[in-house]
Amino acid sequence: MLKGFGGSSLRVNLRTGQVQRRPLDPAFARAWLGGRGYVCKVLYDEVPRDADPLGPLNRLVVSPGVMSGNFGPTGSKCCFGAVSPLTGAHGDSTVGGHFGPELKFAGYDLIVFEEIAQGPVYLFVDDDRVELRDASKYWGKGTIEAEEMLKHDLGEDFEIAAIGPAGESMVTFACIGHDFGRQAGRCGVGAVMGSKRLKAIAVRGTRSVPIHDLPGLKELTMGVIKRTSTHPNMAPWQKFGTAMFVGWSNEHGVYPTHNFQTTYFEPYAGIDGQPLVDKLLVSNKACSGCWMNCGKYARVTLPEKPTIHVEGPEYETGSLCGGNCGFDKIEEVAYVNWVCDQTGIDTMSGGGFVAFGMECYEKGFITREQLEGHELRWGSVDDFEHFVDMIVHRRGIGDWFARGIVYAAGQIGHDSIRFTAQVKGQGMSGYDGRGAPAMLLSYMTADIGAHHNRSWTITMDEDLGKAVIKGKAKVVVYLQHIRPFFDVVSCCRLFWGEVDVTVEEHIEAIRLMTGWSDFTLEEAMRLSDRLWNLNRAHFLERNGGPGRKHDYPPARFYEEAVPSGPGKGARLTMEDLDVMLDEYYAARGWSRDGNPSREILEDLGLPETATRLETLDLLGPLMAPLPEVRGERYKPKAF
Amino acid sequence: MKIVLKAGGMLADYLKPDPVTHAREVEAGEGQTLRQILESIGVPPGHVAMAFVDSNIVHLLYVPKEGEVVTLRPPVQGG
Repeated sequence: MLKGFGGSSLRVNLRTGQVQRRPLDPAFARAWLGGRGYVCKVLYDEVPRDADPLGPLNRLVVSPGVMSGNFGPTGSKCCFGAVSPLTGAHGDSTVGGHFGPELKFAGYDLIVFEEIAQGPVYLFVDDDRVELRDASKYWGKGTIEAEEMLKHDLGEDFEIAAIGPAGESMVTFACIGHDFGRQAGRCGVGAVMGSKRLKAIAVRGTRSVPIHDLPGLKELTMGVIKRTSTHPNMAPWQKFGTAMFVGWSNEHGVYPTHNFQTTYFEPYAGIDGQPLVDKLLVSNKACSGCWMNCGKYARVTLPEKPTIHVEGPEYETGSLCGGNCGFDKIEEVAYVNWVCDQTGIDTMSGGGFVAFGMECYEKGFITREQLEGHELRWGSVDDFEHFVDMIVHRRGIGDWFARGIVYAAGQIGHDSIRFTAQVKGQGMSGYDGRGAPAMLLSYMTADIGAHHNRSWTITMDEDLGKAVIKGKAKVVVYLQHIRPFFDVVSCCRLFWGEVDVTVEEHIEAIRLMTGWSDFTLEEAMRLSDRLWNLNRAHFLERNGGPGRKHDYPPARFYEEAVPSGPGKGARLTMEDLDVMLDEYYAARGWSRDGNPSREILEDLGLPETATRLETLDLLGPLMAPLPEVRGERYKPKAF
Repeated sequence: MKIVLKAGGMLADYLKPDPVTHAREVEAGEGQTLRQILESIGVPPGHVAMAFVDSNIVHLLYVPKEGEVVTLRPPVQGG
């Protein structure tokens, strides 16, 4: 029996209703580990390169990785993936909560959804009993409302992942919601779920996951719990969660403000972690098996609005739906957070795209008539809510935005593409890279577009100098291997980054779970490298080359200087970007064009991918000798 | 006067606290701000996202009192 895993996979054909259960192949399990690894492999192998992301040939892939649900440090995650309607290539997004562990308890490590159902359905999973059920009564309901209804109908002990109206109408940045306020938010995985008319997945598992060395795992995990419980970072995390970084981000000149026009929002104190805790907090909220409780469950009352409950705002929402949209009261940020959660749009892309609309309105590029007689002003909750409603129901120019920010900019004209905050169509996370060049490089090169979870470098930018360009690319490569590793094995990276749980301890936990006594950090990092290159190949095969042309941000980020605040004057040039890209491609073993080389692909055991790229004229010559190690052992101080 | 600074994560590289208690007692001048104290012992203030006294956030311009325990937080890396 395969230890550490649920042991089975499901393949669900939504058109025919057929559900196939297959045992998990041990070789596949070891090679790709689960989570983001399985998602990457399935998408690369199965989705035709010309398949519409919102059509029947795309796949929706769901996978909790090896650590999810096991008694290891923070194994609570589950990865959702699909070819992204935002970026047109591999997309994945990981959610915490309890869904991943519950799938493992039911015996499943992987679900692959194919085709499109004839009408709204949800997947019912109760251990061995797996069936598609009619979801007509849930269709049209908000994400939170649908979760409530399904729990009411099936039982509190079912874990639910559901989409809202945005997913149903295939808004390209729709998310998948779970646990009343957590989301697989990025890449438009909710849109793909909606395109398949799959409203929800409901799962209950009552089994145990077999563990190779349970006493050893228990000893390791209890040691980690005991040690980290008194760590000085733990109490602030428990009290404030990620919201406490709004202030820091402002004071360090990286906080996106008014659609990334500047990096300092003067009234930030009103939307920082302190007012969240002082004014809105109902209780702390934790993912499965977690002792940090960083989630903040909040109650919000605004005049003329319903009283709502929401988990958050987390930092990313507090920035992109905060100062980036001009909101200066924590109640307002929390309320628009709820609007996004209930309709089922990603607060990050959602906040960023609405902020772009606000700047367009300010500049007169979109009119009151186009907004159905409404306005789109900075800091107006009513305007935000109305515009989101236009997007979700694809009314008028709302349809432009529903298709993505690049499409919307093309329709709006006025060269507005230059101030979109995105790379490869994915809205930027809540940090402005002009004050942190390596952070901008991280956005430029991330496999899913401008997302921070692949590489977050701001303290390194501070350490080496904010104006310093050279010498940072290797660190970005290192982080792009280490951080996505946590999405592969499906555990929370906060414990690594925040309270000093080492990667080696995670590796040891996996050994104890699986019995793979020869499993090493080197193997894990090599998998990360392989996934990165496979996703790059996937992107190029779908979007064409050379890769370099896709890796530049919009003009605002290399033409405009930051106009105010602590970051005032920070600016980058196209030459700076080229220096960073050259270093980055060399560190990766790619060509100067940003295409993978045969040497690197063969080194990673991907010779067929090399041949495929060669056929498509997407293989590049090495621009520098193949690095002996591609970042994985380059561990700079402070990481 | 003496105050106690506590830190883990990347800040421990600079503060060099006791590995078990994460704490280090440091000498501070009367009226010195937290920023000045950190600079004087080689902890870069830019790496301190925030500081806490009795679980409440204090600014780097905060002036610690004799015997106070100040917990330092690096910025989020996991998010």
